Amino acid sequence: MATTLFISLFAFSSTQAQMERQRANPDGPVDEIFLTKNIAGLGTVQLLEKGDLNSMIQHNFGDVRGGIDTFFGIDEGANVRIAFAYGLTDNINIGIGRTSREDNIDFGIDYRLLHQTKSDNIPVSLVLKGNLGIRTQKEAFPLTFQERLNYLGSVMIGRKFSESFSFQISPMISHFNTVVRREANSELYNTVYGLGLAGRFKINERKSISFEYLPVIGDRISATKNHAAMVYELETGGHVFQMFFMSGRWFTEQHLLTRTETNFFEPNFRFGFNVNRVFGLL
Amino acid sequence: MRKILFSLIFLLFGISASFSQSFKTEEGKATFYSKVPLHNFEGNSKNLVGLINLDDGTVDFYLDLETLDTGNGKRNKDMKLALETKKYPFAEFFGKLVSDFDPSSTEIHDVKVAGTFKIHGVEREIEVDGSLQMKENGLHVKAEWMLNLLDYNIDPPKILFIKVDKNQEIKIEALLKPVER
Repeated sequence: MATTLFISLFAFSSTQAQMERQRANPDGPVDEIFLTKNIAGLGTVQLLEKGDLNSMIQHNFGDVRGGIDTFFGIDEGANVRIAFAYGLTDNINIGIGRTSREDNIDFGIDYRLLHQTKSDNIPVSLVLKGNLGIRTQKEAFPLTFQERLNYLGSVMIGRKFSESFSFQISPMISHFNTVVRREANSELYNTVYGLGLAGRFKINERKSISFEYLPVIGDRISATKNHAAMVYELETGGHVFQMFFMSGRWFTEQHLLTRTETNFFEPNFRFGFNVNRVFGLL
Repeated sequence: MRKILFSLIFLLFGISASFSQSFKTEEGKATFYSKVPLHNFEGNSKNLVGLINLDDGTVDFYLDLETLDTGNGKRNKDMKLALETKKYPFAEFFGKLVSDFDPSSTEIHDVKVAGTFKIHGVEREIEVDGSLQMKENGLHVKAEWMLNLLDYNIDPPKILFIKVDKNQEIKIEALLKPVER
């Protein structure tokens, strides 16, 4: 009883002292599971905040096995994708891109259903991703609008395991209304499934090493290989640069699943780099 | 015995309630204004926590710096890195009202507070001019001052290779509600 009295007296006197400092949002969402919306070609659970516009230029070149004659692939010319993405809300991003190969124009949407929290009440972030591509290149053979379409659907599940390590799996499905036979006996599939795996090792606040691996699950188109990439990411004031070796030639996942013809582990890959710049529009 | 003690505690509570003139908020506004050549921006938070005790003139404010939003995700990150918010999450002021304030008047009083401001792990004694106004629903506080980033060992972040001005204007505004016991 006397103790209670003491405590209450003590409580009165302590009102004169400083308030205890408490974090405003201790159970808030974790920040930066990945550095940007993309690693090399694979999408991540990292979305743009509301009102942010990301402009991105992605390039890769011929495969490095060309040696010095092709300057390790650089002479073979670049595949370039120019893309813009915008945060409609913190949980919905939309985007548009154009790839120089086949003049493929793509429209994308990301919708975040779960956002990992600091307290682990929600242990993962979960983002649904959709992409619709249109092959707009003039072809020697006639294609209808329908026949020019390609699609991707992906469920991205990512988790920041520690301050320095994040990992993501993304089961996905791709569909092409038209697949082109290159050799007489090649097996073709309009629909191909894959399982994207991606990770990020943070070196410090501005630098990280990331990877992506995209094995095909089930039937694959003849002569295609699983795409993979190793990426060095560098953030400077306002820009994110990503320099990488990747086996795929494309930057859209439906194409990475179905068009990759070099085997990263052979080893055979190409050099490439992305430049991201975020603008705040609000 | 028990009855006596209870009454004693009640009495103590009663005394403090009738004398206490404490006002508190957890949703005050804090803003900083940054200048870069050809480009200005501001950061806002609505999570300023403040306590003013008119009995002894204590003024206690703090802000979780990660609640500041500059309207751009990348810029927020640059700000957090410059302030090292993981290591030093709060900006804090603890001091005393050094000018007179008459709580029975509802006019706006210009007041001065003096105390310790702490950010980025560095403490400095500062004086801040502001205003206090007793309103029906609480105590309205406004203040602004200049903060020199270099005074607090904060390296001004760069935007496109140009450094943010080392002088940042800080403004706070809050309505503090009477603390009931």
